[in-house]
Amino acid sequence: MLTQSPIDNQGFSIYYLSEQAVTIEFGHEISESLLHRISNYNNLLHQHPFPGLQTTVPAYSTLSIFYDPLQVIQATELRGRDGFEKVQNYLLDLTEQNIDQTKSSAPPITIPVCYGELYGPDIEEVADVNSLSIQDVISLHTQAVYTVYMIGFVPGFAYMGGMNEQLATPRKATPRQTIPAGSVGIAGKQTGIYPLETPGGWQIIGRTPLKLFDATHAQPALLKAGDKVIFKSIPLQEFDQYGA
Amino acid sequence: MQIRITKPGVLSTIQDMGRMQYLSQAVPVSGAMDTLSARIANIAVGNAHDDAVIEFTYAAAEFVAESDILIAYAGDGAVLKSGDNIIPTERPVFIPQGSAVRLVNNPAGSRTYLAIACGWDILQILGSRSTYTTAGIGGHKGRALQAGDVLTSSQKCSGATNNLLLKLQGQVINYPKWNITRQALLPVDKKTIRVVPAHEFTWFDGCSIYDFLSSPYKLSMQSNRMGYHLDGVPIQRLVQNELLSTAVTPGTIQVTGSGTPVLLMADCQTTGGYPRIAQVAAVDLPLCGQLKPGDIIFFKETSRHDAEMLYIEREEHLYKLALAVQSQF
Repeated sequence: MLTQSPIDNQGFSIYYLSEQAVTIEFGHEISESLLHRISNYNNLLHQHPFPGLQTTVPAYSTLSIFYDPLQVIQATELRGRDGFEKVQNYLLDLTEQNIDQTKSSAPPITIPVCYGELYGPDIEEVADVNSLSIQDVISLHTQAVYTVYMIGFVPGFAYMGGMNEQLATPRKATPRQTIPAGSVGIAGKQTGIYPLETPGGWQIIGRTPLKLFDATHAQPALLKAGDKVIFKSIPLQEFDQYGA
Repeated sequence: MQIRITKPGVLSTIQDMGRMQYLSQAVPVSGAMDTLSARIANIAVGNAHDDAVIEFTYAAAEFVAESDILIAYAGDGAVLKSGDNIIPTERPVFIPQGSAVRLVNNPAGSRTYLAIACGWDILQILGSRSTYTTAGIGGHKGRALQAGDVLTSSQKCSGATNNLLLKLQGQVINYPKWNITRQALLPVDKKTIRVVPAHEFTWFDGCSIYDFLSSPYKLSMQSNRMGYHLDGVPIQRLVQNELLSTAVTPGTIQVTGSGTPVLLMADCQTTGGYPRIAQVAAVDLPLCGQLKPGDIIFFKETSRHDAEMLYIEREEHLYKLALAVQSQF
């Protein structure tokens, strides 16, 4: 029986995902240092693409690389018996170059949120579960600086770390059939924003008037892996003025 | 060329070969569930293989030719009929203005692809014409087709397409004797799906791996363009590690907490956190695109190298078919 035998080199391993993709595994934890390593490697790869490279997908501890196998197999400058080997060897060689470890210093992205009232039906539940006042919930949620680790689940949905654990609240026992786009929620120790109207089980504490995903933009998702995010509380009137 | 949808059927959407460039923003690939049929329909009318097609699910859809049209269709969800005439598959077919065409049930599969000469005129959104209904993007107004929708062909026609039209046009339905035989590209056994062991393959119990590679699995009612939940022997885990969410792709078979395998399809999420037991060989994914709830399938192991070689062989075959049509006409 064939088993996967990832090649380990340079402190990462590469495994087969499909005929058109491989995944580099950089570690097994969620950490800012892993996030930086992955985004540095991702930048390096885009600066030095191999023939047939299509796109990459960063995640918590992995970077997946999608390519056109026909272009890869025809690329005589890549070493290997098949597409997988050719891409694997290229990716292993790439690390031998100097990876820039400097952290990006882009300012955080501010997300205005109208907390509670109309748009945050579960804010009381979050306050009650954690023996806080509604004002405490808003303060704790707006004081932290969040880190976007990856985009997944639905277009533009950011998996963020950095929420104050005093706000941790279990998901709703029964998920809602529809949660409006822009809703800001809490699930366990995570916080996130629903980019589209979808069903969902998160505790909804507010809503942002910003569009997290807009297919008419060249860069349709507002957030990307590596971004820093802060939330700012806005009153209802200000929410209504957005897009007006 | 122009058609009007008179009955939309269960789910009819515009699709192409999918949207690859925005996976990092969690925009799914989408695209045709059975890419092979979609490409063959395009090749048969002299189009680029990745032009937009209509993906019909099952039968019951109907449309009217509002001008003379040159079409080709492929797939196993339905047979096209105009009046009492069966329209043959996998070849160019001229249909005169005013003809009503209906899809009649074909129990062999679930999806049928309709290509029009020069491709359907659909705006590219994020690099693709595919419809992704969840986000309301792509295709025709970001949604499934409805009665009354009018679709037209683009102006970008190949020389072969123009010549085919000249050869076939007239007062009645007309088509050549030749066809592109899709069956010649497919294995005889269409219910055995070849899979490559995935990264977490060894997280599963040996007996469960044996079951997975030998027992029947049935598509449950929870099966759609996102993926298929498979009923069968539950798959037990040996390793209880937590998997951090990471990229998945159509053809990935995840195993849920209750041991149910889920085969991800065209509209699947871009990342997932369930351990993955296997990846369907790309050449067999079009077979999966023809499955429907209640269908029974088996999985058979192959190596990643063999899967890739089969893929390259398939692509070369399709390239030659397209070249043959282009040079013949």
